[in-house]
Amino acid sequence: MSRALSLDRLRPCLEGIVPSGIATCGVDGMPNITYVSQLMYVDPEHVALSFQFFNKTRENIVANPVATVLMMDPDTAARYRLTIRYLRTETEGPLFERMKAKLAGIASHEGMSDVFRLLGADVYRVQGIEAVPGRESPPVAGGPALLPALRRSVDALAACQSMEALIDSFCTCLTRHFDLQHQLLLMADEAAGRLYIVASRGYAQSGAGAEIPFGVGVIGVAARERVPIRIMFPATEYAYSRMLRDQAAAGGLAERLETVIPLPGLPAPASQLAVPIMAGRRLVAVAYVESQRECHFGYDLEDALVALGSTLGLSMAACLCVETVEGAEAEPEEAAVAAVLAGEAVRVRHYARDGSVFLGDDYLIKGVAGAILWRLLQEYQRSGRTQFSNRELRLDPALGLPEVADNLEARLILLQRRLRDRCDWLGIEKAGRGRFRLDVTRPVTLHVEEAG
Amino acid sequence: MTSPDPLDPALAEFITSHVSLQLAATDDAGLATAVRCVGCRVSADRRRVTLLMPRSQAAPVLASIAANGRVAVVFNEPKSYRTLQLKGRDGRIEPPLPDDAAALQPYAAGFARRLAPLDVPEPYVRTLVSCAPEDLVAVSFTPLEAYAQTPGPRAGRRLGPGETGE
Repeated sequence: MSRALSLDRLRPCLEGIVPSGIATCGVDGMPNITYVSQLMYVDPEHVALSFQFFNKTRENIVANPVATVLMMDPDTAARYRLTIRYLRTETEGPLFERMKAKLAGIASHEGMSDVFRLLGADVYRVQGIEAVPGRESPPVAGGPALLPALRRSVDALAACQSMEALIDSFCTCLTRHFDLQHQLLLMADEAAGRLYIVASRGYAQSGAGAEIPFGVGVIGVAARERVPIRIMFPATEYAYSRMLRDQAAAGGLAERLETVIPLPGLPAPASQLAVPIMAGRRLVAVAYVESQRECHFGYDLEDALVALGSTLGLSMAACLCVETVEGAEAEPEEAAVAAVLAGEAVRVRHYARDGSVFLGDDYLIKGVAGAILWRLLQEYQRSGRTQFSNRELRLDPALGLPEVADNLEARLILLQRRLRDRCDWLGIEKAGRGRFRLDVTRPVTLHVEEAG
Repeated sequence: MTSPDPLDPALAEFITSHVSLQLAATDDAGLATAVRCVGCRVSADRRRVTLLMPRSQAAPVLASIAANGRVAVVFNEPKSYRTLQLKGRDGRIEPPLPDDAAALQPYAAGFARRLAPLDVPEPYVRTLVSCAPEDLVAVSFTPLEAYAQTPGPRAGRRLGPGETGE
């Protein structure tokens, strides 16, 4: 005897890979049947249907809310009938945004990008599931087994003692245990409504320091709505290559362009998944993975990354607490050994307006990270000091760090990686808990630029 | 009651061209149900449309049709997304004709060809529309209404005489 059917086990049918049919009954008793662009899993008791046009289906469910969906498994061709009852329509918020992003992929896959526009997410309660008899293909197991991958990754994160170790371990786990080759990890700056890349894998450029505003693309929407966003097919309006072009077109000023760090990314990803990394209710970061293969990231992978992200988020939050406490107890500075400077002096410019720092003619970084670097270089130039503590930065009002949850450590990691990407004569290295060292091997001259 | 117009020849050709087929019926309590069909034929005078389906998959549909005869069928060409719905009130359950079983393979092959540009593997399509000849049952009806359902703002528009919804 077969076990009771659960929507949790039928999620592949709810990916929009094979269109479902929906049958409704009109007030005159006549049936109506149409294809559904998107039928989406909400939870074990609910599904959502995309509402794109006012049509007969909609007219019918408003009058008679019970309908039947005929859906097909995209791998086995198994068929199921769902009896569903219409509850409500959501026109904004997490479910709407998840559906909108997913629909963009489906629309583009079906050549319907100009036609499919989501008006609402119609939420239905599932009242019954019936397996329709008939031939099926055996299920195909693709990709790594997710529970063991999750278990190993959680264990790896538990062994991490610092923010940097957490970041690197998380990325390594995604590559090694989940076989995810293209990934970004972005820290959230909630006050500024932006995310900045702190680590990446699988690209020619690390992109450390590149920014994405909340609400823009898969990553920005995941951050704004605090919900995973997953797309199964290439969706041009969510691709970051297009976003960059749009930004360039809208920006106008050449100056504006040169202070943008290019986002790494596949030119035309076929599958995308962005998962918000939360510490309780606070957004800490967003993890993003992409692939050239269509339908590569399923519901189960999304679940696994949300679970892993929850461990990462809480561990990062714990790290920040420890860092703040230990930073306050940092031991006195050791005598630094001055490096031998060689080569031509580098002209370093700083724009106070946005904190941006240029090394020679090359843009390096802006914002808080830019302000931190400028402060370090000024102190170095003034006193020759190369050892610094997190605590002194935290106490410096000029840097504008928020009093709680400043994420200084993450900003230092980003600055360190950006410097590694961009120059070989200036760097930042950790020098014990709550301390770090500025490594300078060429002479510098500092210039404050007032004009924007 | 006057007999409705026969189906437009272009529509008759479209619905028999190995497109995707789903048939819906409603029971007397107002619950709609549906089944995927595995073949379609049109009578010589184009007044009667017949859908073929596996009886084992169609139980709730057949019970509803036996009760009230109301049917709706959606025809969809996957690549172009051209979609048409026909409705009737005189649906009848019939045994298949001798040629119907022989039409199953050409339908599966034709439908698979239509899905090939969307990267749907042929074995998948054959599994989806497989039907044992002894399991085959037919539902025929007189189409009274035709609706263009190709996605877009004009979807759901009722077609007048001579319109093909293209």
